Amino acid sequence: MWYNSGVDLLTTSVSTAESDSEAYTLVELTGEADVTNCDALREVLDAEVAKQPRTLIIDLSGLRFMDSSALHVILRANRVMDRQGCVLALASPREPVAKMLRLTAADQLIPVYASVSEATAG
Amino acid sequence: MAESPASGGPFRHTGFFYRTLDEYARTVAGFVGDGLAAGEPAFVAVPPGKATLIADALGAGARRVEFADMTDLGRNPARIIPRVLAFAEKHGGQHVRYAGEPVWASRGPAELREATRHEALVNLAFADADVEILCPYDTLALDAAVLADARRTHPLLRSDGRTSASPDYAVPFRLPPSCSLALPAPPDAAMSYTYRTDLSQVRAWVLQHARDAGLPDARASDLVLAVSEAAANTLRHTRSSGTLDIWHDATEIVCEIHDTGVIADPLAGRRMPAPDALSGHGLWLVHEVCDLVELRSDGTGTTIRMHMSLRPRRTPG
Repeated sequence: MWYNSGVDLLTTSVSTAESDSEAYTLVELTGEADVTNCDALREVLDAEVAKQPRTLIIDLSGLRFMDSSALHVILRANRVMDRQGCVLALASPREPVAKMLRLTAADQLIPVYASVSEATAG
Repeated sequence: MAESPASGGPFRHTGFFYRTLDEYARTVAGFVGDGLAAGEPAFVAVPPGKATLIADALGAGARRVEFADMTDLGRNPARIIPRVLAFAEKHGGQHVRYAGEPVWASRGPAELREATRHEALVNLAFADADVEILCPYDTLALDAAVLADARRTHPLLRSDGRTSASPDYAVPFRLPPSCSLALPAPPDAAMSYTYRTDLSQVRAWVLQHARDAGLPDARASDLVLAVSEAAANTLRHTRSSGTLDIWHDATEIVCEIHDTGVIADPLAGRRMPAPDALSGHGLWLVHEVCDLVELRSDGTGTTIRMHMSLRPRRTPG
């Protein structure tokens, strides 16, 4: 999009790890996620979702801000994961992000955990 | 959309003009009690002292009524419709009754405009719903202009024990002029910024002003989210820049976003989007977190004025 200018604001880092011999994918978001960089976020999540991991955890601890455009990208990824019989989970949102997840009731749709290790314990 | 919500379907929206608290308690309890006797769920949202009067008049039946503090729920009047819709949905298929008092005398002019706008929008939001609504108005305490607007926003009026059609009710739907005219201009002291794509800078400006004004951190985060969502709409729906104005006084901090976009749906942000909806959360969040929101939109553009109180919540008088 013409305004896709906020890419520098958001850093994504992807890794895979194991918990109780179950592999999971971890996407860590750092910075601010909004309408200006949600296309970049979508590309990262689409690529990981396409690999059909049993569990995809998005670590939000480094995220200072998230708007509804970024939320929609996560909701879309969650839909596909659901359809694949896989689980998307969110971990350690800071309070402003956690509040936004509550106000949109996204936390009723996607499990939100206090930490990545709690998310892996499911 | 119903052309004439006053007739036909089960939707009834009555402005109840009362003079004494005794008349108030008797009439609201009667309205709720009639519903309870017929097995209908009832929801009552009024200022806190008045809930006690209604509950006392209802007696044992009060236990079956859902009460809410209107000074909290209706602080931003845009939050009332989704709450009542949720109540009706929870009791899906049943006729429900709702008594709501969103207008009281100690509200400021902007709050009264928005409470009046809310009352008008009730007729759109519930036109096809199986809901019966009674809205008490304190005829002795409220200004004549506020009561005149109540006659415009309610298809039915009740006073002195009689209910009749309101001759001033606007059909087809039209907002009363008091709440659809352009907003008063921001004060000269307002700081004005132009943004194009740098929403991070917009958020930084808002956060700085909120802190300078003394808004607590959690509320400052709320205001940052609201303004960022309003400004994101500029990027989503227009190809031009937007302006942000910020000002505060001893009572509140106000942020205003203006752009060339058009918001055609008068109920935008007043229906909760489905949790998995992939749009529509922006204005919903703006209304959820702000103490008051004024939205004006026409062919020339959209203004969204977001208020946050700098004082502890007022008790109504």
